[in-house]
Amino acid sequence: MDRRQLLFSGLGLGLTTGFSLTSTAKAADGPLKLRELYNKDRSFSELAKSLAGHRIAVDGFMAPPLKAEISFFVLTKKPMAVCPFCETEAEWPEDILAIYTKRTVEVISFNRKIETSGILELGTLKDPDTGFVSRVRLVDAVYGLA
Amino acid sequence: MKTIISSTLALALTGSVAFAQDALPQQDNDWFTAAQAQLEAKAAVQPNTNKAKNVIILIADGNGVGTNYATRLFDGQQNGNYGDEHVLHHETFPHLALAKTYNVNAQTPDSAGTGTAMHSGVKTKAGVIGVDETLNRGDCSQVEGATVANAAEIYTAMGKAVGVISTARLTHATPASAYAHSADRNFEDNSKLPEGCQVPDIATQMIEAVKAGRVDVALGGGRRHFIPTDVTDEEGKGGKRTDGKNLIEEAKAAGVQYVFDDASFEAAKLDGTPLVGLFESSHMKYEADRTGEPSLAEMTEAAIKALQNNEQGFFLTVEAGRVDHANHDGNLARVVRDGVAFAEAVAKADELTNDEDTLIIVTADHEHAIAFQGYAGRGSDILGLSMKINPAGIEALDEPNTAADNKPYTTVGYLNGSGSILTEDQDWTGTRPALTQEEATDLDYVQQALIPMSSETHSGEDVAIYAKGPFAHLLNGTVEQNFVFHVMHHAATAE
Repeated sequence: MDRRQLLFSGLGLGLTTGFSLTSTAKAADGPLKLRELYNKDRSFSELAKSLAGHRIAVDGFMAPPLKAEISFFVLTKKPMAVCPFCETEAEWPEDILAIYTKRTVEVISFNRKIETSGILELGTLKDPDTGFVSRVRLVDAVYGLA
Repeated sequence: MKTIISSTLALALTGSVAFAQDALPQQDNDWFTAAQAQLEAKAAVQPNTNKAKNVIILIADGNGVGTNYATRLFDGQQNGNYGDEHVLHHETFPHLALAKTYNVNAQTPDSAGTGTAMHSGVKTKAGVIGVDETLNRGDCSQVEGATVANAAEIYTAMGKAVGVISTARLTHATPASAYAHSADRNFEDNSKLPEGCQVPDIATQMIEAVKAGRVDVALGGGRRHFIPTDVTDEEGKGGKRTDGKNLIEEAKAAGVQYVFDDASFEAAKLDGTPLVGLFESSHMKYEADRTGEPSLAEMTEAAIKALQNNEQGFFLTVEAGRVDHANHDGNLARVVRDGVAFAEAVAKADELTNDEDTLIIVTADHEHAIAFQGYAGRGSDILGLSMKINPAGIEALDEPNTAADNKPYTTVGYLNGSGSILTEDQDWTGTRPALTQEEATDLDYVQQALIPMSSETHSGEDVAIYAKGPFAHLLNGTVEQNFVFHVMHHAATAE
């Protein structure tokens, strides 16, 4: 079993048995949506504030990682499209979630839906390794195909 | 028998003669009578050959016939009907043509070339603004020799006030083509200019146009291209300019009103004082996500009221810029919501003006690789799954159609884009993900696509041109896109 399978099966196990709904916040019928963490003006939602410090599950897409052998990726609500007709340079959407993973990231294509679970942290943080500035993060995260 | 029916119908169509004893059995059918009423209305349409005091062109970027169809169904379904029977405001206009949208060097066009066609009257190359096809994209040295007059210059010379509105950045291709000349659409601020380029960047050209009186109202996004890198805007975001120039401050010093959010927008004087609104650092928000900034209809209303102060009339170009962007994302849920906001802007423009003296043209610059598949029953959610036709009724059955893989599918898909079912981590193979109605109708859902691309593409197919007012009747048949400019100009200069 390779690492990815391990992670996937680990997550699958977690989502069904390992994490109970009392310890992993999910919508009644599935993981949270990324947009539920934000208000329209990009301030944090009441839900996000109430879940800070708790393990939550969120679905979305893995943006292509910034570099190899890293325990970090960016979760986007839609596949991370880079549109040459919209932008003159690649730009991050405003509503993203930084994911700090338990293990080195095994890349999943940017257009495959994934589900990730981790402990929600709010507040601006500059990653000393990548320089990436995040406002909201999941740490100690695991992930797999949704 | 066929002859008898035809002659009877012909009699009926002339108006006063009712169907005779051999009247058609369908004569009381609602579809039949509605079509008869429409026939009567169409027969009464007379060409309007007045001189157009005002000219308004509303362009929904990327809103080809297919995309517009999706918006029609969505809006109708939001209003509680099946969607198909719904009529968007511009679909009530009496005159219609199809535009061929290609650029001189591109079967599949981009917005710079198409915008130039509509705002200057000539087709040109993809990616260039306000210049003709002799210019090689990116070569600043050729701009002077290739420059064509743009709408701001032409209508100002007629004594008209000029307005430019976009939900995209005001420096983006479509709005820029109304007032700028640039060897590349990407020269939005000075940092993108090639070394030695003597032609000002697009943001500089816009502010120069406002200060010179060639643009009187400019409302949209793109604040970052007007301020330097060491300046943060009202929302805490930095600028892009590397020449240290703060064009917003320059404009304010020249007496231009500057607004940046919904509150300052509402407080703006609409008395003819030049008005610049920059409501976002980049593009304005999608309608679905909008907060703290005006809608396209609200901007259109403000612009018309401000421009109407000019006794010699006005030219106004309005772009719904983000229909295109949502299509590029393959995210139909946002496409149609911006499409509805566009239709509301059209309705507002129509409400505030008079057909006797105002030509209104509604069109798109190009279509996308959006596709519609069957066979959905009436009332199938246009964002959602294709539901089975009910052979014993009208409304679709509550049972999705399934493909050969036994999975349901949405009515709308894209030929390419980030919704591709082929993925790199599977060596560009893939199977369609299972799909529920709830997933498919989610605001963030990306429709399934075939060819994997980071961004879904434009397509070269025709777009519709809807028109009313002076000389709108000249828009019929299939025309080259630059013909739109000539109808507007003819209407504005008719004697």
